[in-house]
Amino acid sequence: MAATDPILSLHGIAKNFGEKLALKRIDLDVVEGEVHVVCGENGAGKSTLMNILIGIHQPSAGTIRLRGETVTIADPIAASRLGIGMVHQHFKLVPSMTVAENLFLGRQPRRFGIFTDRAGMRSRAAELIQRYGFELDPDAVVGRLSVGQRQRVEILKALAFDARILILDEPTAVLTPPEVDELIRIIDGLRARGRTVLFITHKLREVKAVADRVTVIRQGESVATHRTADVDEHDIARDMVGRDVFLVGRKDGEARRAFGTDALTLSGVTMTDAQGRRRLDEVTLSIRAGEIVGIAGVDGNGQTELAEAIAGLQPIQAGTIAIRGADVSAASVSARYQAGLGFVPEDRLDRGLSAPMSIAENVAATHYRSAHLVRAGFVSTARRDAFAAAKIREFDIRGAEPSIPVGWLSGGNMQKVVIARELDRKPQVLVVSQPTRGLDIGASEFVYSRILAAADRGCAVLLISSELSEVFALSDRIGVLYAGRLVDVLDRAEADETRIGVLMNGGASRKVAA
Amino acid sequence: MKAIRQFFEAVRAPLGAILLTMGLGFLLVAAINDEPVLAYRELLFANFDSLSNFALFLNRATPITLIALGVVFAFRAGFFNAGGEGQLYLGAMAATLVALALPALHPVLLIPLTVAAGIAAGAFWGWVPATLKIRLGVDEVVTTLMLNFVALLITSYIVNHLIRDTTTYGAISLMIPKSIWLPPFPGVPGATIGFLVAVILAFVAWIAIFRTEWGAEIRAAGTNLRFAEAVGTPARQRVIGAMLVSGGFGGLAGALYVLGVGHRFEQNFSPAYGLVALTVALLARIHPLGALATALFYALMLNGAAYMQIATDVPRSLVNLLTGMLVFLMTARLRPSVRG
Repeated sequence: MAATDPILSLHGIAKNFGEKLALKRIDLDVVEGEVHVVCGENGAGKSTLMNILIGIHQPSAGTIRLRGETVTIADPIAASRLGIGMVHQHFKLVPSMTVAENLFLGRQPRRFGIFTDRAGMRSRAAELIQRYGFELDPDAVVGRLSVGQRQRVEILKALAFDARILILDEPTAVLTPPEVDELIRIIDGLRARGRTVLFITHKLREVKAVADRVTVIRQGESVATHRTADVDEHDIARDMVGRDVFLVGRKDGEARRAFGTDALTLSGVTMTDAQGRRRLDEVTLSIRAGEIVGIAGVDGNGQTELAEAIAGLQPIQAGTIAIRGADVSAASVSARYQAGLGFVPEDRLDRGLSAPMSIAENVAATHYRSAHLVRAGFVSTARRDAFAAAKIREFDIRGAEPSIPVGWLSGGNMQKVVIARELDRKPQVLVVSQPTRGLDIGASEFVYSRILAAADRGCAVLLISSELSEVFALSDRIGVLYAGRLVDVLDRAEADETRIGVLMNGGASRKVAA
Repeated sequence: MKAIRQFFEAVRAPLGAILLTMGLGFLLVAAINDEPVLAYRELLFANFDSLSNFALFLNRATPITLIALGVVFAFRAGFFNAGGEGQLYLGAMAATLVALALPALHPVLLIPLTVAAGIAAGAFWGWVPATLKIRLGVDEVVTTLMLNFVALLITSYIVNHLIRDTTTYGAISLMIPKSIWLPPFPGVPGATIGFLVAVILAFVAWIAIFRTEWGAEIRAAGTNLRFAEAVGTPARQRVIGAMLVSGGFGGLAGALYVLGVGHRFEQNFSPAYGLVALTVALLARIHPLGALATALFYALMLNGAAYMQIATDVPRSLVNLLTGMLVFLMTARLRPSVRG
């Protein structure tokens, strides 16, 4: 690397917000034309660093050098003028406009100074798409595009600004496996054209696939930079967490475990929305005591509906749901909980918790009766807080006190609050949706161990996740939801990522890159 | 000790806002009047000059406290109840009608019956927007506000056309039987026992909201309805229940006013108590005991302003300015926020 001077060089970058130190010391050299991954756990400071690079935040200390010259990036417009473009995790596109309109939003080619030159805009968009070899229709309305296609529009938008350095913030978080492959192909293409790519992620498997070099950030410090050829995933994970981690679930070689009788039985479960579209289409599935069935699928194919149907939060129009033999299809949510159901919703801040309420009240929410926290309608706050304090210890919820609002906790610790509440009931059937969404490796490790422990004690687990590695790590059987249908359920031994990936896309075949 | 410290931390900001408001108000008065000290004395302390002044103060505080407590219940359930005025009017009217319809009934039966009628009427007026919101998703800010006018017009019709006291002028009803007039507040002859009811209910409300399972469910529904559903509580019923209670408080305020102070229905008996109580509840950060304290402060200012206007030439509308300033300062953050 010594042969090439870095195009972008950060030296001793620090950033504090008030008294909170977000970045301690970041040193980073990015060489022109390389794909450089910045990885770290949630809260390590990745986003802060990127926000400094595109001028949203100003560093408290340190220097940024671009092609050897010290620069100040005052705001995102300055960043774009310096050739730094960013593709945000949450796309900043106008869904009702076409691809071409989005690409040139705010700087449309003009005719007579006032009218938008639509034909010119369209042809320039088509030329851009062609130059980078993207599969996109310039006239397509962005709102109708798939997530992967929208991301390509975002990337093109940055390239249209002539970004020499392209920052991709967690770009794969929203993509399906084939879309990830496509993204990696696009990034390879950019590298071949001499663009520099900074790729932010906390997913280890992507690092090896995409990067030339990787810089690991831990607790606001850059701890190491490696050539990806020299290290493996395990080394990077150790740098990220600061200790050895074993993020594995069931081992492939593990002896086949014995399961009990059917604990959760779905037959012909069908849900129709207000417009008459089928959200769930005759889903039939049995899960035995002690078994973990993982449901893979691209978000929006009925995962939310399946979980909510089982929990009783959305009514089903046909079929039956039985918990340990008892038909609960029409039962209330609390009756299902009494029948032995535990439910970890996909979004902890939506269904899982009430952020302004105290940790104690969130943990106790389903336990007032069962844990004798209430007598004749009156709550014993002492008993409630003691109950919560016990759970805080048992589940190692950091930074928690019973009386503080649960919203003050980090995402991982909030998730622990939900899991503490739901597992404390000793459920016979557990529905968990996206259990580690937004969680770092340490917290994920904890959540996995709890789910596995619940299954070992005889709980039937339905694991719904868009994280394929998670489904593979934990499940005994793997099913795929596509357009509301449970298209197949495979034994884990028969399933591989290619096969599941094909099913996730509705069974359409795809070319697997050699 | 911890409880005391927490209490001081909780009241530090509102007390600071009140002191700052009074200070700024004093400068204002000093700018337009030669006797600012006298004006302020009248504003703040004339309420305590005589027992009759004090009685007026307590009578003023009663409906404000009660309606504000109702607003607290609604807000805790995530429901913006701007309909206190209508609930108050219907409660007053229902109590009057029952009292006029059954004058021969023994007071031991008639008093609870009139109070119950008032509560029921107010609760019904709270149930309507609650059901509209829960079943049809109708925005409650619009419905509760609009229902105020409906209630005012209904009561206006009844008082003018059905039960008007034709021996006198004005839109006032016939007198209710003297046997059911409320007894005076102990030691303050001109004030009614209604104030005592309001104080007790403030504490009951605190217990109900913070120390019962029902209250926990209401707060869960109010802070995150989808969470409340997911943990298996009957969240929508809790919202409706909270609005029944909320409207009931307004109705009770109306009934107690008729039984204790007005002794008849008067069309213009409320100087927008509903709106004042809404402000009071918000300033008290929707806390029942805070609502009691804030209601007392408002009653003090509202009555004191009249004495101030009599003693000096400072117009009583100064009090609108002060309360406006108070709202402004309470909502403003006095410390510079940390940018993040």
